[in-house]
Amino acid sequence: MTEKFSLEQPVNRRHFITRSAALMGGMMIAPRMAFASAPKKPKELIVRAWGGAWGDALKAGVADGFTKQTGIDVRLDFTEDNEIKPKIWAAVDQGRVPPIHVNWDTTTNATISALRGVTVDLSDLSNLRQLLPLAKPVGLEGYPLVNTYAYVYVCAYRPQAFPDGPPQSWTVMLDPKFKGRIALYDDGIGFNPVAVIAGGGTFADIPDNMEPGYAFYRKLKANNPLLGEDADFTNWFQNGEIDIACTISVNARAAKQNGIDVAWTVPKEGCKVDTDGLWVPKGLPENETYWAKQFVNHALTRDAQQKWCSLLGLPPVYPGIAPPPDLVNDVSYPTQAADFDKLLRVPSKALVENQPKWFAKFNEIFQG
Amino acid sequence: MKHSFRYPLAWRLLDWAEAAAAAIWPRRWASLTGYLLLMPAMLLVFVLVIGLIYIGENSLHELDIYTYRLKEAFSLINYRAATSATYQTIIGRSLGASAIVTAITMVLAFPYAYVMVRAASAWTRKLLLIALFLPFFIGQVVRAYGWLIVLGKQGLLNSILTDLGLPAIKLIYNYPAVILGLVQYMLPFAVLLLAPAITAIGEEAELASESLGANWIQTFRHVVIPMARPGLIGASVVVFTLTLTDFAMPEILGGGTTDFIANAIYDGFFQISNPGLGAALSMILVTIGSILVTIIFYLAGTGTLGFSGRRP
Repeated sequence: MTEKFSLEQPVNRRHFITRSAALMGGMMIAPRMAFASAPKKPKELIVRAWGGAWGDALKAGVADGFTKQTGIDVRLDFTEDNEIKPKIWAAVDQGRVPPIHVNWDTTTNATISALRGVTVDLSDLSNLRQLLPLAKPVGLEGYPLVNTYAYVYVCAYRPQAFPDGPPQSWTVMLDPKFKGRIALYDDGIGFNPVAVIAGGGTFADIPDNMEPGYAFYRKLKANNPLLGEDADFTNWFQNGEIDIACTISVNARAAKQNGIDVAWTVPKEGCKVDTDGLWVPKGLPENETYWAKQFVNHALTRDAQQKWCSLLGLPPVYPGIAPPPDLVNDVSYPTQAADFDKLLRVPSKALVENQPKWFAKFNEIFQG
Repeated sequence: MKHSFRYPLAWRLLDWAEAAAAAIWPRRWASLTGYLLLMPAMLLVFVLVIGLIYIGENSLHELDIYTYRLKEAFSLINYRAATSATYQTIIGRSLGASAIVTAITMVLAFPYAYVMVRAASAWTRKLLLIALFLPFFIGQVVRAYGWLIVLGKQGLLNSILTDLGLPAIKLIYNYPAVILGLVQYMLPFAVLLLAPAITAIGEEAELASESLGANWIQTFRHVVIPMARPGLIGASVVVFTLTLTDFAMPEILGGGTTDFIANAIYDGFFQISNPGLGAALSMILVTIGSILVTIIFYLAGTGTLGFSGRRP
């Protein structure tokens, strides 16, 4: 007689313990068996990340799950994305081992590194097949990087400063009553296309005719905007230094979750939408490259995407994941084609080729 | 009974050490010992010079935005960009701040150093010395952040103003805030460089001046200040050059629109990944700093920083 394991079959205590132990053991071993023929595991993987709410989300959403599955510790390195870039470039050029295993980067910066030839091809990752087309980097061969989610540079504001409702247009930033209480990124990132439209131009003017944007910046300069980085925006809202800012929705949401009275909107000119991604630098030992790629692959699983992106409050590249409850129908969480219609997406190629020029002009206006 | 004599252990150890030293560095090379001791410092300077040569070379190549590498061909395009109106403003702002910070710091540091050196009470001297050294244990970034807390919209000063029913005022994220932060940062450096110069002025010189009928102000002006000139020059050069190359204060207290040259260099290297432009700005900064310091040394001597500069 063949004994069959069935939930309907009465189970005595001895059988229960034996089967439970076997089941538990199987559950623990199964994921490890998937990597049974894998190269030697490194003690840890170093993943560059942004700090604050960003790093917390990566740890809880991706890193912890990866460690649980593989036993490899993940250390987050909060070196600024612009600072790690030349370090990796120099390491690869000089034949040294790069300082990190995985770079969590903006798609623009990642594309620049791909053009420089320092990124490992990720085309063989098994989880790429199930992703939305947004995951594929545009204008590059294969997958030198993989986009992991989209994000919007929203118009974040203090509701107290806007008693009549959310700002309808970015031109409200020119109102003298907001003098010194406006904030942008210190390199104009996220605002350049918006400035063109707010300055009277059209999306078609980008990138060849940015003059309307520069004209808008010149007017804006008279209103003494603050220029900063991600962390600054949360601090400035928290300390009552600003009333309105162009910042990534994650920062505004983090401020709100910290009890700061902040809201966000997409004004009539639209908001810039962009993507971030993951990439693995060349020059790592072979086994570490393998595990770094496995980390990226893990970040593309449904579980990791759901948890990571829900914590960030951003739409993932894995299809069919519902937005977090507080962001259902939110302008910063585009899911439908109609949502994207309100947003401005500048192709990576245009960003990569023009960012230095735009930055120079931005600098000329605000530092001059 | 005959006792065998043994030198004390310490003497024998010294003899061994001397013999070992003589084996490694024979006595006939004694005249070269000074150069040997100079070697590590020279090596460090040499490494810096090598780095500077690399930076200089990088500054002569244009960035290829299709590969984000510097082009092979030599070009002056980075220098054209680095001397554009924008960077002229930034360089002018940095030089202006250096002059202002140096002037204010000297005015504040001199009396502090004078009182610290001349105070009759040992407790006063120690208290002033501790107050001077305390900020050294707190880094520049923390000090700048401290100013944000004190001067911010919801900071200490504005809280007092609003408690008094007055409107809050904007005290940070502007040029004066950067100057204030820099003066506070530079003050200990200046006092420490002035103190030895003031110590070297004999009190009897001041007493002699007063006994000849000079009042305190005349003594200060005609005796103390001229005799402290080496210290004033040394402290001014250090404060000026440190301010000219400062990064953190304009970054943290400037609100993003009052960049100094160091911030522009950072942006060149990191923000826009253009090492050619960053290198050109670096070369300009080194050149300006070197020329200004050379002029000061030529006109006023090397002060406490030199051994054979002109005497006042």
